[in-house]
Amino acid sequence: MENARAIGRPKGASRLRSLLGGRWILAFLILETIFFCLTAQGFAHPSSAQMLLFYGTEVFLLAVAELFVIITGGIDLSVGYVLGFASIISTKLITALANAGLPPVLALLMGAAFTLLVGVLPGLVNGWLVAYLEVPPFIATFSMLGACHGVSELIIQGIYAMGLPEFAGEVGNGHFLYYAPGAGFSFFSRPEVERGTTVYEIVPTIVVLAAVAIGTLAFVLARSRFGRHVYAIGGNRDAAVRAGIPVRRRLLAVYALSSVLASLAGISYSLKYVSGKADAGASSLLDSIAAVMIGGASMFGGSGTVGRTLVGCLVIAVLELGLRMSGTPTFDKYILVGVILVAAVVVERYLPEDRK
Amino acid sequence: MSTIATRAEGATTVGRKGFLESKAGRAIARNWAACFLLAMIVTFSLTGRNFLSVVNFQNVVHLQTLPLLLAAAETFVIITGGIDLSVGFVAGLASVTAAKLMQVFMDAEMGAGGVIALGAASALVLSLLPGLVNGIVVTRFKVPPFIATLGMWGIANGVALKMCEGFPVARLPGELPRLGNGFLLYVLPGEFVSFLGLPAGFPEARIREVWRLVPFSLVFVLLVLGSLAFVLRRGRFGRHTYAIGGSLDAAIRAGIDVDRHLIGTYVLASALAGLAGVFNVFQTGIGNYTTFSSMYELFAVAAVVIGGASLSGGKGTVLGSAVGVLVLAFMENGLAISGVQPFYRYIMVGVLLVLAVVIDKLFPDLF
Repeated sequence: MENARAIGRPKGASRLRSLLGGRWILAFLILETIFFCLTAQGFAHPSSAQMLLFYGTEVFLLAVAELFVIITGGIDLSVGYVLGFASIISTKLITALANAGLPPVLALLMGAAFTLLVGVLPGLVNGWLVAYLEVPPFIATFSMLGACHGVSELIIQGIYAMGLPEFAGEVGNGHFLYYAPGAGFSFFSRPEVERGTTVYEIVPTIVVLAAVAIGTLAFVLARSRFGRHVYAIGGNRDAAVRAGIPVRRRLLAVYALSSVLASLAGISYSLKYVSGKADAGASSLLDSIAAVMIGGASMFGGSGTVGRTLVGCLVIAVLELGLRMSGTPTFDKYILVGVILVAAVVVERYLPEDRK
Repeated sequence: MSTIATRAEGATTVGRKGFLESKAGRAIARNWAACFLLAMIVTFSLTGRNFLSVVNFQNVVHLQTLPLLLAAAETFVIITGGIDLSVGFVAGLASVTAAKLMQVFMDAEMGAGGVIALGAASALVLSLLPGLVNGIVVTRFKVPPFIATLGMWGIANGVALKMCEGFPVARLPGELPRLGNGFLLYVLPGEFVSFLGLPAGFPEARIREVWRLVPFSLVFVLLVLGSLAFVLRRGRFGRHTYAIGGSLDAAIRAGIDVDRHLIGTYVLASALAGLAGVFNVFQTGIGNYTTFSSMYELFAVAAVVIGGASLSGGKGTVLGSAVGVLVLAFMENGLAISGVQPFYRYIMVGVLLVLAVVIDKLFPDLF
């Protein structure tokens, strides 16, 4: 197919187009990685990949949340502060449950489950405002941002939420798999070995959790009826209504899903940093939206995939880590993300590809 | 299509003859933000000690100089149907730039007057740049305004932080805060009325007895907003702004150079943001970068929407947006003075915003 088109239009630009197509951003990611491998000392090491994923977990989750909303043609400004809200709720709940004498594992699981339940609420309100009261998504979700910010500050009274049991930090900063030469593999906990032996840590635990969540959602978006409906609503809402799709219910579900994912990111934050903070996600608004747009989604809805969004996330994560390791102040990151964001949308326009 | 249907529905459900159909009811609905502001001021006057005082009102307006200018900037962009998310960080950028330039001129051994004038002027000129880029990216490259200005959000923030290395820029001429925080009138009842400063030789110890009236910031804001309101209401630029937001196709057919006008609008927005940032240097005496959690741009959009504009364009006024800013400001101030925890402010902003949109939906024929 692609060859045929290249023969039909043998001009240079079109050859480039058929060669790169929608994969140009992947090519960019590879070039970017090679660049930092060459310039940043210590970047070319397997541990960088783990660090990318570990520090990027929250942005990955927020970006996928944002993706669903953006595909419907909306926007969710509240994800960052829902993250902060959830980080506080989970910290408080897990701490309270652990102090009540529950075993740490149970306290953690119950606290997380409750946080996710509470975390649906902002999304339900957002969805209700957008779908049923027809408030523009920008306004509705900005209001929710304010509400979450206010409630978070009320709970913690202007400081951090702290006091998590030690176990939480071990989970948040632990790894899925450990390998010690001689002692073999062990899951979730560091093997008992003599001091001084190297233990290889493989894949942080929270990255595994996030990967499971994101993988499920990628499947839902690409293969399920719900996913098809999401695309249909963003593609043409009137047509979706006529096709009998319960548009309002689907929108409600999409905003609820977005907020649950943001809460999951909040839980991951509180486990990782062993604290909760109202503005924990304040600066990730740019990152999460930029990742989705760099991944080629349209602001007007109807397009975007989880895979491409993850590539968008990686572009930002590699940039951040690479800059940090080359010793440049991280302020450069904001500039570069801004430039890449706009450039990606422009390139996408000039390399129109027959994607789904 | 669907919006027309729901609007008609909304009109019929509310269409019962009643207070809302009467002249007074419609006037209140149309100016609900202003009415809300009045009601709030009355309430807080009863609940908060010292709320109802000239000093407090002057303080509120003085502290809202930056939000007021940003909201005016956002008004123009929103009327065209766009949005400018970069205004907050452009203001911070201009503030840091002005401060850094002033330091450079100070090191060049210039007089204080020259340092201030040159620093402020060059920062203002530089603040046209982000808007120019925004405008070109939006019109020539057809990038949605949300994305284009979100990109500038990051760029302006990064450049500002890089310039000040993450710290406010201090060590500036001492005259700055005196200029930014001065008053037109100094009155001591029964003794003197003096303009622009205290009379010579006035004892420092009695300074608290003096009434200081009409801060420079108020004059500044009134001048800027007044001329902007005039341009928007009476000028050709304003007519074209509404035309583009009302119907892009009609505007093109009417022969308006839409691209040029849009670039002009984004440049105006960024210039106003720059003005706000530079004035902030005069008020605080230091160059402040914008922090993430200040969310100036979002509060500006909120104020504009509360003031009666619509995010789909074609509607909005400078005065309305100013009322929107004051609603948010007095809410914060009043709640604080009445002893309510400040955190409720964030929640109230959300409630007000949704209320604004719902009122707009319920009375589509009013605006």
